[in-house]
Amino acid sequence: MRDIVVAREVAFPREMVWAALTDSRQLAAWLMPNDFRPEIGHRFTFTTKPAPGFDGVVRCQVFDLRAPERLAFSWQGGALDTVVSFDLAQTAGGTRITLRHAGFAGASNLLPRVILGFGWASLLSRKLVAHLDGCRLGA
Amino acid sequence: MSRVSSEQDPFRAIADANRRRMLDLMLAQERTVGELAGLLGIAQPSVSQHMAVLRLAGLVDERQEGRRTFYSVRAADLRGVAEWIAKYEVFWAERLDALAAHLARQRQ
Repeated sequence: MRDIVVAREVAFPREMVWAALTDSRQLAAWLMPNDFRPEIGHRFTFTTKPAPGFDGVVRCQVFDLRAPERLAFSWQGGALDTVVSFDLAQTAGGTRITLRHAGFAGASNLLPRVILGFGWASLLSRKLVAHLDGCRLGA
Repeated sequence: MSRVSSEQDPFRAIADANRRRMLDLMLAQERTVGELAGLLGIAQPSVSQHMAVLRLAGLVDERQEGRRTFYSVRAADLRGVAEWIAKYEVFWAERLDALAAHLARQRQ
């Protein structure tokens, strides 16, 4: 299974984006309630609505923290044992944010074989493109 | 994706490490409960209970041969799991939009 990668360019300085990623209150404003602290090794949780097979708690641990360019933490919830990272690159107009959610194969060794066999990878990318087009039209 | 009861949720079914190992073993070839118990080193009644969960979630097919029952993976029904991952992709796209909106508010 390939990783999920979503990128956005925003017209704000990198330090400002970094603060929105690493300040617990700001993080809660756009992602989920949390007890994040910008310390390597810090264990924290995001809390959201429970669903079947998922108690609504995402357990995380910070393992990479390089201000103001990279934040990475583990992301465990339900059957998922994955890794989320944010990379911030300075651009002429502001900051390019690249989100990567990796390690879905770890949810089950079955996933890569089964999903690739059914051509889901290409279906997923079509879905994402359609979604992003929808966002652009709405903007 | 329509809502399913938790007994039928394939994602819940694969949340257990023993059930994932059973699926892996059945993916290679069809197996009996006795074979799985031997390969996994767990008791047959436990394997039977796990198999019941996998069957309810629609993840396995069974075939009778004499007095023995062979189980195999019904891969098409793991699509629910793939759809769940697709939702994560949409989730992050929406969250990054929310981040951009949050930054715009911070500047004001």
